[in-house]
Amino acid sequence: MTKSNRTSVQAFPEGQEYDTYVKRRQRKAKTWHGLFFTATLIGILALAALLLDVINDAFGYVAIQSKVSESTLVGNYFKQQMLDARRTLTSEDDQTLVDNVATRGTAVGFFGYAYYASNTDKLAVVAIDGVKPDAATVADGSYPLARPLYVYTTEEILQAKPQVAAFVGYTLDHVNQAIGDIGYFPVSEADLAAARQQWQAAASNPDEAATFSGEILSVGSSTVTPIIERMAQDFQANMPTTSVIAESIGTDAGIRAFCLDGRGDLLSASRALTQVEEAACSKEGRDLIQLVIANDGIPVVVNPENTFATNLTLDQLKQAFTTAETWADLDPAWPDRPILHFIPGADSGTLDFFSAEVFGTRLEGQSATDLAAMLKIALSAGRVRALESAAPLNEQPVAALIALARSEIIKPTGAGSWSLFESLTRRAEIAAEVAAMPDTELQFRSWINKNFLVNAQSSDPYKAGINIAIMGSLWVTIIAFLMAVPLGIAAAIYLEEYSNGKSRLDQIIETNINNLAGVPSIIYGMLGLAVFVRFMSIVTSGQLFGYGDPATTNGRTILSAGLTLGLLILPLVIINAREAIRAVPRGLREASYGLGATRWQTVWNHVLPSSMSGILTGIILAVSRAFGETAPLIVVGVSTFIVVRPDGPFSKFTTLTAQIYQWTSRPQEEFQHLAAAAILVLLVLLITLNSAAIYLRTRYAKNKQ
Amino acid sequence: MSQSVSPPASFEQRSVDLRRRPRTGEALIRAFLVFAGLVSVLTTAGIVLVLIYDAIKFFARPEPTLQGFFTGTVWQPQILKFGIFPLFNATLLTSAIGMVVALPIGLMIAIYLSEYASPRARNILKPVLEILAGIPTVVYGFFALGFMTPLLQSIFGKDRVEVFNVASAGIVIGILIIPLISSMSEDALTAVPRSLREAAYGLGSTRLETALRVVLPAALSGISAAVIVAMSRAIGETMVVAIAAGAGPRNFVNWGNAVDGLNFLNPFKAAETMTGHIVRISGGDLSYQTIDYDSIFAIAFALFIMTMILNIISRWVVRRFRQEY
Amino acid sequence: MTVSHSDTYAIEAKDLNVYYGGFRAVRDINLAIEPRKITALIGPSGCGKSTVLRAFNRMNDLIPVARTEGSVTFHGKNIYDADVDAVEVRRRIGMVFQKPNPFPKSIYENIAWGAKINGYRGRMDDLVEESLRGAALWDEVKDKLKESGYSLSGGQQQRLCIARTIAVKPDIILMDEPCSALDPIATLRIEELMKELVQEYTIIIVTHNMQQAARVADYTAFFTVSPDRTGYLEEYGETSRMFTSPTSRVTEDYITGRFG
Repeated sequence: MTKSNRTSVQAFPEGQEYDTYVKRRQRKAKTWHGLFFTATLIGILALAALLLDVINDAFGYVAIQSKVSESTLVGNYFKQQMLDARRTLTSEDDQTLVDNVATRGTAVGFFGYAYYASNTDKLAVVAIDGVKPDAATVADGSYPLARPLYVYTTEEILQAKPQVAAFVGYTLDHVNQAIGDIGYFPVSEADLAAARQQWQAAASNPDEAATFSGEILSVGSSTVTPIIERMAQDFQANMPTTSVIAESIGTDAGIRAFCLDGRGDLLSASRALTQVEEAACSKEGRDLIQLVIANDGIPVVVNPENTFATNLTLDQLKQAFTTAETWADLDPAWPDRPILHFIPGADSGTLDFFSAEVFGTRLEGQSATDLAAMLKIALSAGRVRALESAAPLNEQPVAALIALARSEIIKPTGAGSWSLFESLTRRAEIAAEVAAMPDTELQFRSWINKNFLVNAQSSDPYKAGINIAIMGSLWVTIIAFLMAVPLGIAAAIYLEEYSNGKSRLDQIIETNINNLAGVPSIIYGMLGLAVFVRFMSIVTSGQLFGYGDPATTNGRTILSAGLTLGLLILPLVIINAREAIRAVPRGLREASYGLGATRWQTVWNHVLPSSMSGILTGIILAVSRAFGETAPLIVVGVSTFIVVRPDGPFSKFTTLTAQIYQWTSRPQEEFQHLAAAAILVLLVLLITLNSAAIYLRTRYAKNKQ
Repeated sequence: MSQSVSPPASFEQRSVDLRRRPRTGEALIRAFLVFAGLVSVLTTAGIVLVLIYDAIKFFARPEPTLQGFFTGTVWQPQILKFGIFPLFNATLLTSAIGMVVALPIGLMIAIYLSEYASPRARNILKPVLEILAGIPTVVYGFFALGFMTPLLQSIFGKDRVEVFNVASAGIVIGILIIPLISSMSEDALTAVPRSLREAAYGLGSTRLETALRVVLPAALSGISAAVIVAMSRAIGETMVVAIAAGAGPRNFVNWGNAVDGLNFLNPFKAAETMTGHIVRISGGDLSYQTIDYDSIFAIAFALFIMTMILNIISRWVVRRFRQEY
Repeated sequence: MTVSHSDTYAIEAKDLNVYYGGFRAVRDINLAIEPRKITALIGPSGCGKSTVLRAFNRMNDLIPVARTEGSVTFHGKNIYDADVDAVEVRRRIGMVFQKPNPFPKSIYENIAWGAKINGYRGRMDDLVEESLRGAALWDEVKDKLKESGYSLSGGQQQRLCIARTIAVKPDIILMDEPCSALDPIATLRIEELMKELVQEYTIIIVTHNMQQAARVADYTAFFTVSPDRTGYLEEYGETSRMFTSPTSRVTEDYITGRFG
């Protein structure tokens, strides 16, 4: 630069220097652009996080523990029905049953298949729904009283303990030869081959010729135990250095022992494990391999003299062992002779199995008579009388009886709950935890459900609902609407069409509205508390109008709350309505005045119709504000616990938002889920409202073109 | 011209009476409209009267003194200690944290929307912000307790971050007022005339330089107003702090104890704000004759004055520094 | 500036001043309008001719900052007297605006509404037809009376506005640059219409188009603006004389196109 006052163009950087300058400048621009964009992303992420947080808590697993499990309730009832049926002889000794059926012409009975197999000449087997038990019908499950029997183990055990692998291999090879002796049906060759293949793969091609030693512990089903024992006997004959111990503790206990306590090398089960149970096992490091080793099927038998009852439907079978007294009861064409029952005793697994297969294990599907009887048996006479106050149990519909059985006998209670995220990521862990609890079922629960929407508040989170809260919200919002909308539009009309903005009063009103819009909502609550609840209590409690409900005479009513919210949204309505009115073109007003219209004629006929969609938009926004407001309502006095629907402006009330606040403030996890579910309902309602506003706004914009 | 048209009576014959006639309907309607306008004035008057009346009743009792109210460090109605500082401090703390979160983010969103975003991006972003603004505050409270607090605990350690804490409530208040700041600031930014931007571009300035050096300063009055309104909103915010900040005042034995180790500023500890206290006290069945009842009106009065001053300042800023383009 | 062909004027402004806030828009206007004639108000923009026109039916009342001094006498009564109802004034003195401004209603409703609010008791269908015929619009719209007024073309809309105005049977029709938004053909039709209407109505028209004034007006008032931006009446007389031998130099300059 020269010394002269004139600056030179050379003072700007050029060439290399300029390049670096530009680069630095661009880098800076990029950095800031990134920053701006990141900030915007944070805004979006915040919304996403909020919504996900709510959804996360609104769905997820819950553990439901029953006082009595449903299957026990149903099973015991029908077992008792069978035991109590007329002319019934029970015996733990199947041979006694065989002898009786073989010698009495009108007898019917059932017992383990082995006893039928060795007495085929003395007994006639009855088809059920046209199917007789044999190897084929049992294996493919078409015979109703059939079930596969399983042995479970894991790859680790098979590899770590060659003696177990050898025993399993031996069993798969030889079980079908001995199965007739044991009293069960063989598995189809194909199934057996598949099981063998699975075993081979898991045990990594075991050397079957080698000799092994060591213990083999099997835990689980008593039904399967005879097979294990028989196989063990044969196996040990070849491998005396091994010892097989079969603990007959029942399938459920077996699962707990095998999976949770890690006891045993084999798990025997008279039913397939559920997915949840398998998951629970995996969680504990036991990835189960399922092997079918036999099929079980119970024959229903009659005396060979009985030539008419060759086939029974499932319904006939049910009656045959419970209510029917003569064969003619089952089918009028059959002789009118008494049915004699010969069945296994109360402690027999066969009876359990028969009952479960024939009568089912669920409440659904049972007749009203049976359900009513279950209730009468399980409940005290006093309780039954109370329940029958409306209508005798026998006359109540099935659905109602099932609901009663659930709430009065099974009494499911929550024993744990998890968020959606936990449910998805820690499924196995949760399943294991729940599997360890007796009579507990893991369910995936949407905390928003029909009951949630129709039930009242309850201290039991599984029964609590938001019905009364929603009604309260609606009532309060409607009153706020009725107050704020006419007043708000009127004030807006006054300020835009009547006031010239010059008078002192007009200026005060103007300033006021702007100030009011900035007052925290809780201050409105204080105003409502002092004025509507306390000062005007005689009006807001309804005493003035002859409503003397002592519970509400303190003025903490829907009316007080509605009026408070009305004041709260009034500035909002005014400001939005003014904006809409201001947007009406002046030409329209001039045209009207030019014809000699008065101010009100102009407003009513031209200004309001033209600004209506804009005003409506504002009203909707204000109403959704009222609907989502919480703090002033708490100050005015929502009821903490209320189970009756509000029936008018003088009722006590709670609102959806207040309910959310109360639930959020409770420490138990379940109430957080309820709060989340209520929030989802609230948001859905608000989004619906706001969509209406957006729709109106776009329609308005189109009309103006 | 059709002959069916009846011509108006001849000019001279026609009697014209221009005098004002009583239009009762119009007058009644006008009266109703004026009344509607006055309701807002009555509301303000009602608020002021109610707050003052009960606040005076509060101070007229023997226990609370004005001096104790302003200088005490313990708010514990059970032992008749009424120092506003713990509540006031919590209110300021949550609001300050909220502003620290919301101000930069809100402002940057506004700049991004007005200066950078394509129309398509705007069409996506604006509704997102509108949804954020439309979510009830109780939902934000749930979010603070159920998401922000565990997040802070996992970052800073469970032993350091209490379940109820000021930081979580403050941050969520910040999120809650982001849309307020961003939309008001964006309005201010878009109101800056195109010609000003074009002048800057004409001198070879980049988009960033135009935005930061030309547009932002020109919109400063509107942005300041936005910030002040947001502050007033943060101070008055209730549900978030009632749920997440704490269920009892963070009392101090004395001032030394409060200042010691900057105890009063610890964001990870619980503290009840003015609004939170009002909600908790009034949430139970409150009897009118108790000192508790009067005390919340004294708090509310202080709160009302604070927000009113902020609102007045914000409107003054807008009027005083408005750029006439 | 003395026009005294008749002793009875349709409407007469005396010492009329209109202020917008502190600003005086027009000063000391004295203007007497002949009945059943077309009077054109012309002048450069900003001269206050529209303000004067709006002062004739108190339309300026609708502008909060506007204030009027002086008198406007109509049927022997100053319309600015305290006991006068502006609504009554406007009902007698109709107005057609620069931009066609039909109501967002049907064509039929556009005509009927004014009559309805003014207590018309006759058969509405007749009135609508009569007014539309009066505005030379009937043949074009008679089959679509239920359609929106906005469905018409600009010129038709303006004639609809005229029809709407005559439906309430005013004494005077004020027209504020009624053709400025229209094409030449539509303009011509309005001008022809005005010539028919003037048989029954007094018409005052503001126009920025001198040819239009020359074509349709019986009388012309020329307004101009003083250096303080206040408008005033420069010259007023029969149109034929004004355009051939204006007395004022300013008028002559304007008319010959040397000004404005």
